[in-house]
Amino acid sequence: MKITLTVNGKKYQRDASETKNLLHFLREDLGLTGTKEGCGAGECGACTVIMNGKTVNSCLILAVEANGADIMTIEGEAKNGKLSKLQVAFKKNHAVQCGFCTPGMIMSTRALLENNPKPTVEQIKQAIEGNFCRCTGYQQIIEAVQDASGQLKKKEGLKRA
Amino acid sequence: MLQNFSYQAPETLKDLYALLKKSNGKATILAGGTDLLVNMHNNWISPESLIDIKKIPDLKGITFNPKTGLSIGATTVCIDLINNKDVKKHYPLLAEAAHNIGSPQLRNRATIAGNLCTASPCADMGCSLLALGASVELGSADGVRVIPLKDFFTGPKKTQIKKHEVLLRIVVPAEMAGAKFGMRKLKRIKGHDIAVASVAMARTAKVMRIGVGSAAPTPVVTADLAASTTLEKAVAAAEKVICPIDDVRAGAEYRRFMVKEFVGQIYPELF
Repeated sequence: MKITLTVNGKKYQRDASETKNLLHFLREDLGLTGTKEGCGAGECGACTVIMNGKTVNSCLILAVEANGADIMTIEGEAKNGKLSKLQVAFKKNHAVQCGFCTPGMIMSTRALLENNPKPTVEQIKQAIEGNFCRCTGYQQIIEAVQDASGQLKKKEGLKRA
Repeated sequence: MLQNFSYQAPETLKDLYALLKKSNGKATILAGGTDLLVNMHNNWISPESLIDIKKIPDLKGITFNPKTGLSIGATTVCIDLINNKDVKKHYPLLAEAAHNIGSPQLRNRATIAGNLCTASPCADMGCSLLALGASVELGSADGVRVIPLKDFFTGPKKTQIKKHEVLLRIVVPAEMAGAKFGMRKLKRIKGHDIAVASVAMARTAKVMRIGVGSAAPTPVVTADLAASTTLEKAVAAAEKVICPIDDVRAGAEYRRFMVKEFVGQIYPELF
């Protein structure tokens, strides 16, 4: 089925297989491999993208269902080779370990910050409830989001760049 | 890549009914897809065709009328219910129940009607809608029929929906607007998790009902109890409708204990 969708501000028109999910369509048909597949069943959140302003698991959406949608993926974060403020905060706060959950984490926290520029720790935790980090580096991720929203207090004994 | 299937997205109810009739039970309805696509991904089911109902205007939206109550269209997703002003004002129990479902990503996509049609014994919306005395409207080319939600579930993953039918909307009666309520969901973790046992209670000046999840083959509800029912009688009524089993998440005895405990916890909140 022929579909048209906008991904990171760029319009794409493709013939999409009806049996392909949005995740595989992004990775295989559009070559946007930043979005990852973890469980393929909506549990882990590695495949999180922002569709029409809301975070979704791209493994649980058919590509054909995304016809006409406006989608943002991790590739939309950096502009002209420069990392976004949120990405810089993740890097600075050691919020990236193996990195597999990071694209999904950034999408979930991006959507949070768009609606709520100064989230509390509890709100950050709720926003990443559907994103698993198997390195278990949640604390650093929460600190990165606090940092990106200008709320991180300096901590003793941890040297920051 | 999932198994082979055809995909259709009708734009009117008439077209949907025609497709359902033609498929003769071989098509599966796709709304949020958060359960369906997981089942297909795991090869638990392999439908011949999917009928996406999200483009049908008649199935969209939430409306409130003080005389007829709340109508929740079949393609309403959890986050729409959570953020809806009328729901927050008149039926806050439903907003709380929807907030307890899955993760943000799932709440942005999963439909309330889908949660009922999946008919899991632990359906999060099941016990709260049962406590509110909701009914469902089922439509087909042959017409529309309304059935009380308490009669809708017939077994685990089984409902009264016939092969030509589609759930059109969920109706919550007007007399339950502003009902006092409370709910508890027992989970292993605070976040995204399935219920080990759940209880939702609602009470107006006339009636009290207790909906229970994960403690019987389907979500269940007590008979309509008098608004003045004592705690002891409320606990006994809840115990009468449940028949929990032992499984990987908990034992039957623990489930029974927690249902009674939750009724006891919620009861004072209803007065």
